[in-house]
Amino acid sequence: MNDNELAYTSVTEQAALIRAKQISPLELVDLYLKRIEKWDSVLHAWITVCADRARRQAKQAEAEIMKGRYRGPLHGIPYGVKDQITTGDVPTTMASIIQPDFGEGMTATVVRKLEDAGAILIGKNNLHEFGKGSSVKFHYGEPKNPWNPAYEPSHSSTGSGVSIAAGLASASLGEDTGGSIRGPAWANGVVGTRPTFGRVSRYGGIMYAWTQDTIGPLTRTVADNALVLQTIAGHDPKDPLSSVRPVPNYANYFTPDLKGVKLALVQEMSIEQTLHPEVDAMLKSALAVLRSLGATVEQISLPRVKYAVPLQFLTSDPDVAAVFLRKWLRKHWDKFDVGTRTRIAAAALVPATIHARAMRARVLVRNEVLSAFGNYDALITLMNFVPPLKLQDSVEKIDSREDVTARMFKSRRICTYPFSIANVPALSVPSGFTIENVPMSIQIAAKPFDESMMYRVAHAYEQAAGWHLRHPDLEKTLAGAGSTGARTAGAQPWK
Amino acid sequence: MEISKDHVRILAKTIDLDIPEADLNAVALRLSGLLALMDEVEKDLGDEMDRVDPIPPVYPREEF
Repeated sequence: MNDNELAYTSVTEQAALIRAKQISPLELVDLYLKRIEKWDSVLHAWITVCADRARRQAKQAEAEIMKGRYRGPLHGIPYGVKDQITTGDVPTTMASIIQPDFGEGMTATVVRKLEDAGAILIGKNNLHEFGKGSSVKFHYGEPKNPWNPAYEPSHSSTGSGVSIAAGLASASLGEDTGGSIRGPAWANGVVGTRPTFGRVSRYGGIMYAWTQDTIGPLTRTVADNALVLQTIAGHDPKDPLSSVRPVPNYANYFTPDLKGVKLALVQEMSIEQTLHPEVDAMLKSALAVLRSLGATVEQISLPRVKYAVPLQFLTSDPDVAAVFLRKWLRKHWDKFDVGTRTRIAAAALVPATIHARAMRARVLVRNEVLSAFGNYDALITLMNFVPPLKLQDSVEKIDSREDVTARMFKSRRICTYPFSIANVPALSVPSGFTIENVPMSIQIAAKPFDESMMYRVAHAYEQAAGWHLRHPDLEKTLAGAGSTGARTAGAQPWK
Repeated sequence: MEISKDHVRILAKTIDLDIPEADLNAVALRLSGLLALMDEVEKDLGDEMDRVDPIPPVYPREEF
């Protein structure tokens, strides 16, 4: 296996090589550091790379494994974290220039759990400022899609998606309020999961949409995703809304077929919309694969999901604004990106009565989504009605009411927000490529806390379809791509 | 309802937020858009909204 192949292997394959002492954690860390040094001036997937710290941890992991103290399949595995999740001594910038570190020394529970499992933090991934998907400028460089840098890598947990697709780490953690994990997973051709709200502790994530924020994994395979989620999931006394339910071994639910599984295609989040021809063809092909595995696929209508987008903007955004206003917005207006500050300001001005009415409407939309699980094991939707856009077309502009409507109802949001405001688990899994070599995905959602079913369907589909075996050849895809959209904020310490 | 720049200025004053002139229009457009969409939700679901409690969809100890 050459270095390029090793960089793209799955966590489970890397774990087997480490356990068998065929590769060392230090070799794996050095491989990713070398690739980051080579490619990140173009891709901008990272804000901070903690090279020395990662090498120290890798040596320690190596010593432990050599002494027979193997902790499990994440021992010695290098990972990244969206720079919205705190990591102790490694700064958390939020991709903002307001202050150099928002972390205040905290370590998120998800990071502590990965460290306990022996995983090695390699750095902090770039994001849209404060995790709000409305940034126009990127202080730490504009992330690029490794499959084709002329196309968007989607919004928010962007560096996490880019880094995994480009083979710059083994796994990453993102944060998903409305689709911030699933979007970058879709555009970059990797697997991204929004878990059930309460499945994973939010402690140490700097995020204030308290009824919707989730932390979840982005990985190259479904099995890797299940492994990382299983590691970070579980009750945490520091997060009072985290669930006390036991965490299953998700891999135990993988099956080679889907016989007896009842799936429903949500019309409003797929065929009822005007689909790009390549997306239409991809969806037909994906449904054929699911049926060939033995699943039944029916169509259902969930007419109220069309309200999910405005209801999220009217409920979660004001919750965020309530904290941002006092902490940062009044004092640092000019240091915010124009897209972020005008979005948060509008949310701050939503009347309390409207917020309360929108919360009532959310209950009705959620009930409609949950009712579908009375008849079906999982729901299938598209991740978007069009493929990833050209970079210049993906930037938001707010010059007219039409712009606001177009921005709000961009089709990725229509596909992801319904499961966010219903707080059910949902996953984006690669399902094909366009003629321009950019990825497309379907989404699989399950009832609350039934990540086992979501992973079962996704794993069987992935293994049958085989899209996870395709990786970008960066020498070709990034040939001629200069360091456009370079960082303007000061370089972060490389520890 | 169409929210004007003057409306935004006054509303922002109530929460001690000073929005520069250059950004007032974008905030007004965003807020107008949100409130117009909520009008549509009210027309469709308003009666039902009166009959449910606005319980946040978080369930740390709820059984499914």
